[in-house]
Amino acid sequence: MLPPREERPSNAQQRAIAQRLVGQESLLVDYVQKLERHRKGRRAVVVRLSGLQAVNRREHHIRIALNSFELLVKQLKGQIFSLSNADIVFIFKDTAIDEVEAALVKLRFLFSDDPLLADEGFAGKATFMDWYLLERDYDALLQYALHASTEEQQRKTQELTKTLTAQQTVARNFGRGEPLTPHVLAKIEDALVRADLANMMRRQAICAIVGKAPPQPVYNELFISIADLRETILPNVNLASSPWLFQQLTEVLDKRVLSLLNKHDDRTVAGDISVNLNVQTLLAPEFLTFDDNLKASMRGTIVLELQKVDVFADLGAFLFARDFAHDRGYRICIDGVNMESLPFVDRERLGIDLVKIVWDPAMSLGVLPNGDSLESYMRRCGPSRAILCRCDAQDAIDWGQSVGVTLFQGRHVEAMLATEAAKTRGALGRRR
Amino acid sequence: MNLPVPDAAGPEIVTQESLLLGAAERVGRIRDGRLAVQVFLSRLRPQNRQDGHIRIALRMLEPMVNAYRGQMFLLGNSDIVFMLKDPNPVDVENMIFKLRALFSKDPLTFSDDGDGVDHFCTWFDLSGSDYDRFVDMARQVTEEARKRSRDKSAAKAPAKPLDAKSLGEVMERLASFDVTPMMSRQSAIVIRESSSTADVLFQEFYVSINDLQKALAPDVNLLANRWLFQHLSQTLDKRVLGALSASPLTTTPNCYSLNLNISTVLSKAFDQFEAYAAAKADISVEVQVLDVLADSRGYYTARQRLHDKGHMMVIDGLNELTLQFMDVAQFEADLYKVAWSPEMRESEHGDSVGASLGILGVSKVVLARCDSEAAIQWGLERGIQRFQGRYVDAMLAAYTMAGCPKASACTLQQCIARHAVVKGPLRLQCGDLGMLDGSPVMRVPKAHHKEA
Repeated sequence: MLPPREERPSNAQQRAIAQRLVGQESLLVDYVQKLERHRKGRRAVVVRLSGLQAVNRREHHIRIALNSFELLVKQLKGQIFSLSNADIVFIFKDTAIDEVEAALVKLRFLFSDDPLLADEGFAGKATFMDWYLLERDYDALLQYALHASTEEQQRKTQELTKTLTAQQTVARNFGRGEPLTPHVLAKIEDALVRADLANMMRRQAICAIVGKAPPQPVYNELFISIADLRETILPNVNLASSPWLFQQLTEVLDKRVLSLLNKHDDRTVAGDISVNLNVQTLLAPEFLTFDDNLKASMRGTIVLELQKVDVFADLGAFLFARDFAHDRGYRICIDGVNMESLPFVDRERLGIDLVKIVWDPAMSLGVLPNGDSLESYMRRCGPSRAILCRCDAQDAIDWGQSVGVTLFQGRHVEAMLATEAAKTRGALGRRR
Repeated sequence: MNLPVPDAAGPEIVTQESLLLGAAERVGRIRDGRLAVQVFLSRLRPQNRQDGHIRIALRMLEPMVNAYRGQMFLLGNSDIVFMLKDPNPVDVENMIFKLRALFSKDPLTFSDDGDGVDHFCTWFDLSGSDYDRFVDMARQVTEEARKRSRDKSAAKAPAKPLDAKSLGEVMERLASFDVTPMMSRQSAIVIRESSSTADVLFQEFYVSINDLQKALAPDVNLLANRWLFQHLSQTLDKRVLGALSASPLTTTPNCYSLNLNISTVLSKAFDQFEAYAAAKADISVEVQVLDVLADSRGYYTARQRLHDKGHMMVIDGLNELTLQFMDVAQFEADLYKVAWSPEMRESEHGDSVGASLGILGVSKVVLARCDSEAAIQWGLERGIQRFQGRYVDAMLAAYTMAGCPKASACTLQQCIARHAVVKGPLRLQCGDLGMLDGSPVMRVPKAHHKEA
């Protein structure tokens, strides 16, 4: 986790774009509308995972459920949509009906001890799945899709309003506030025990951007929004005023984040992700629990982001944690490396997989503070091992590409993703 | 029901050791195919066998122990003992190899006494003749554990780790606290080959954290939390600068060396100290690697600030690991303080450290923590000319005494101890403060470089 930066929050429009990243719901609506004149011989099944008990619809359950359709999707026998309420919609041609039935048998078995399925037999009706013969039930399916899409929109709008309000408050308090003292920190630590951090969890994509091609998300960083945290439990405190106390705060947050990830029953830990942790946390029982829970459910890559200060505070502890994490299949990224500290971070010697470099417009001059060439540093580091973060504008991407960097993160990248998503939707719309 | 036996030494406490002994005795009749291994984590350096390390080691072994229907015991001294049934020896060897690799930065896993004994772990083939040895070991550790628990109940509770709340209190107390009595000093010397002499390079002034803790917060372990301690050290810096400006030394040193935060160098407190000291002495500032990483921009500014006034920037706290895993030369500092350790004498390690020092330039290296002649010898062989440590303290005290008219009243140990403080009863016992604060020039035999 990077230390808080004191700067203007992005404007409402930027946020709005980011919030409107295309959802599966709207893709579903588009697709169903597209099928309006191709109803014959098509069916849809809605698997109502949303009706399962929370313990039964965690991320890995949903992933397993999705996996059972994977082959069919690969063989182009159908289209799958995974909605944010956990429901799965599979639309396919009649010819695949046997394979679909087979997949559903597996699913039924998987969730057979959930009340939703246990009741099914007695009530004599299928509550776990809904079938649609498009020729007959097209309108009902479209209704279902539109309803899901509206609900999702509402949820996003609510989130956006919340973010905007929070940001206005942040903007008001910008650059001011009482300094972070040990007493304030003690109060924050107390408050953190009770605070619900789930709604402060944010994700930001690390994207591959090559040439003029649109950004391809590679993995998502999960982090606690420090701005939100500040607004919720410590308004008026200037977190940047004391770097060491802030570092201590991150160590406290680490454990909360891990416990959050451990019990999260939505899709927070979906796919390839990165999380910010301290070296000491990697050796703590909370991380081992996290690791345990993953073994059963995760197949994606997990990148552990360690702060540069933390790595150098105790190299021995870092090397130990590094070897352990590598043994468990994690990748390690050193975070928060800025132009000034670049010369001190020798990625290869440290045995680190990735270096996250904070973009600074001064980089375009191509010279490190010690007069060395930035380009030769990047060559030594291995441009494919570098991520340029906090890319707020196109010049960051341009510079990064000029020295061979392909991985980028930041507001500009989010905006590019959003534009791309809007384009895709537009294209789908035109095809109709 | 088990009634307590009269006259027994209290109820038997169940420990991992006593469980191990029980298990060892139980397998006596079914020893076939059983194997036990004791991993001597107790022999690791303390910094390498903290709770986190042990936790991870257990975690690594767990799947294998489960797979071979085994049992695992974590002894009170951090050793791990596990027993397996019909294991594939290759699996066990691979796991031990992995575990050894995890601790590869500790001398335990690489030092070689030449006696062919593996100091990291020992195997017991329980089906064969090792069984008795295994039971003996279990008995012995059980006895040791019993003794430890008796000793522990007699000892007082350990200090609690520093937390945000206690840090606030400690800082309040520190704000109006005179740190002069807790202040220590230690000289570093530089050997001048041209004149075959050695003189004092600088006197380092620092606060002994142990003493500070005793005086300020006896029930709190100030070093238990790195980040909170760093925060505390910023306040401590100011107190040290203030105390030095009012120091009772009779002669100011040629050069003050101070352990400071980068933020302190850029503060008013430093300006004031400089105004006090600069006319009489040079200043060299020792900063920590982690501080440079935390505030690299500040580091460049501070270094410029020091150079503008002819002072020195020193990178402190370097060791074998930092030299191996960082390109230390990138700091472009005036001096680099590298801690000597006995492992450097082992050829492989010494050579790699020596090579790193060569890249830095030996004329920029201060070999610190030289507590033996061997340390100085090692340094001289590699062309190092700057040394600090207990052995150097003794050399300086011996030279002081050789020229001191009051020397007949003192022992070498007394002279060393008095050199190390700037105030208090120890210092007052000295008969000639001028000699004590002065910087003797020593004659040294010509250094012999190691042939390449």
